[in-house]
Amino acid sequence: MKLLDIARVIRSKNAGPTTLTLDLMFNDAAGYQRALAAPSLEPAAIAELYGLAPRQVEVIPYPPAIAIKIVMDRKLVAGDPGDRDVYGAQQHGPLLGIEI
Amino acid sequence: MNAIQKLKSEVVTPAGLQPLRVLAVSGQLGYGIPDAAFIAGLSRKPHFLGADMGSIDPGPYYLGSGNLATSDAMTRDDLSKALRGARSIGVPFLLGTAGSAGAAPHLDKTLAMVRDIARAEGLHFRLASIRADMPRDLIKHAIRAGKVRPLGAIPALTEHEVDAATHLVGQMGIEAFQRALTAGADVVIAGRACDTAVFAAIPAMLGYPVGPAMHMAKISECCSLCTTPGGRDALLGTLDGDSFTIDSMNPLRHATPMSVAAHSLYEQGDPYRVIEPEGVLNTEAARYEAVDEHRCRIAGARWEPATRFTVKIEGATRVGERAVLLAGCADPKAIAAMREILPAVEKTVRELVSESVRSPFALYYRVYGIDGVFEWQGPPPAMPREVFVMVECIAASAEDAKSVATVFKQYLLHHGFPGRISTGGNLAFPFTPPEVVAGTAYRFSVYHVMEVNALEPLFPVTIEDI
Repeated sequence: MKLLDIARVIRSKNAGPTTLTLDLMFNDAAGYQRALAAPSLEPAAIAELYGLAPRQVEVIPYPPAIAIKIVMDRKLVAGDPGDRDVYGAQQHGPLLGIEI
Repeated sequence: MNAIQKLKSEVVTPAGLQPLRVLAVSGQLGYGIPDAAFIAGLSRKPHFLGADMGSIDPGPYYLGSGNLATSDAMTRDDLSKALRGARSIGVPFLLGTAGSAGAAPHLDKTLAMVRDIARAEGLHFRLASIRADMPRDLIKHAIRAGKVRPLGAIPALTEHEVDAATHLVGQMGIEAFQRALTAGADVVIAGRACDTAVFAAIPAMLGYPVGPAMHMAKISECCSLCTTPGGRDALLGTLDGDSFTIDSMNPLRHATPMSVAAHSLYEQGDPYRVIEPEGVLNTEAARYEAVDEHRCRIAGARWEPATRFTVKIEGATRVGERAVLLAGCADPKAIAAMREILPAVEKTVRELVSESVRSPFALYYRVYGIDGVFEWQGPPPAMPREVFVMVECIAASAEDAKSVATVFKQYLLHHGFPGRISTGGNLAFPFTPPEVVAGTAYRFSVYHVMEVNALEPLFPVTIEDI
């Protein structure tokens, strides 16, 4: 099953200029639990997708909104020369294809 | 009786604290305040109005340059609406992070507008302004004392970076707003501020529990973004001591337990802990309950006072002058070879301009359709039909940057590569000139946290009667 099939929101945004945060929100508790258990959503797997070291990625369950937050270092500080996405609002692409 | 004393007399009664109504009028003042919800909000007789005007999200340009992110005309419209609204019902208006980034030039431009509006509209009030510019010597002293550390993935701060930054600000908390209100302010226009401080300063001052007050502030500062469907309309928060109710002033935007809880994730690295200068908002035990289909009640947030004050400091430094070349391409062979073509053209261009452009310059490419937005690890499974190519040059002067972009344009247009069939030119220009001077480039050089002994000296309040 693809993450895209059970998530109602998959979004990215800066949390300050040095950090990128990705929020996954699910349609129901079953989808949330399934995603929480998925190896493809472990920090090491996410780190590989984003070209980071595992220690640069944190995965935080957030039960009040049946959501998962992924927090990672930005490779460039927002707006540095060469940045591609100052707000970090379009960095969710690699998550769309993952299997859970 | 000044504004805060008047509020106190209304809500602090022998029967206990009365519900405190807070109207958030804009999460980004200067982008337009929707009328209907704003007027509906005023009719609910809020005890004060608050608005946030800035953020670090739009990047280093605004802090670096001293310019506003919003247009002057629209900013003036929004300020006028908020000021007239607050004065019409005789309540305070608090604005945080004036002028997008909250440094001296941003605050001064905003204050000039406020004075102009007051003159034109015949408004009279006590205006407090709060500066947020951090003295360079103070930061350098803190660096030497080991009291400055990076916030996330940015190098440790050096004294050299402190000197190089064009503007340096610190985020003020509720303490600065409270000093302004104690001085009798009706209107507070603040430089760089925590978005929560705008909305939590008054409740905390009147004796409401800080945990729920701070949580309400955190949710309110984006106005109706916490509703479903989310939007920019004014939002009314009603604080009843240990809990509060969120109520969008647009009847079509519903604050549901899910939408409000989900908003706590937004732009936050940690969904449960929000660090403020004076302490930490802890929402681990927060509960979200529906009052009806439109309103949500929230309780349970805790406030953990800090043992040491900390201030987030921000600074931006000039990198150079920017020019960009904008062009499209629909040739499959050129698209397939674009990753090789661009560096090859760069090599030619660097040789050609070596006499005329003496200072170093940097080139960056984004090929939209392939890797313009995200640094993908490999090429796409199928090449797109068209791509958009942006070549960015950052050089010592605008003339240098434009000169490089202009030469790049011509050599990219006519670059010969193996298998080329479209020998009329490799690019489609949507208009000419396709090379555009794009202003000064900045970078964030300071995004750190600094421990301080006292907050008051960092954020001076100035009072003027208008």
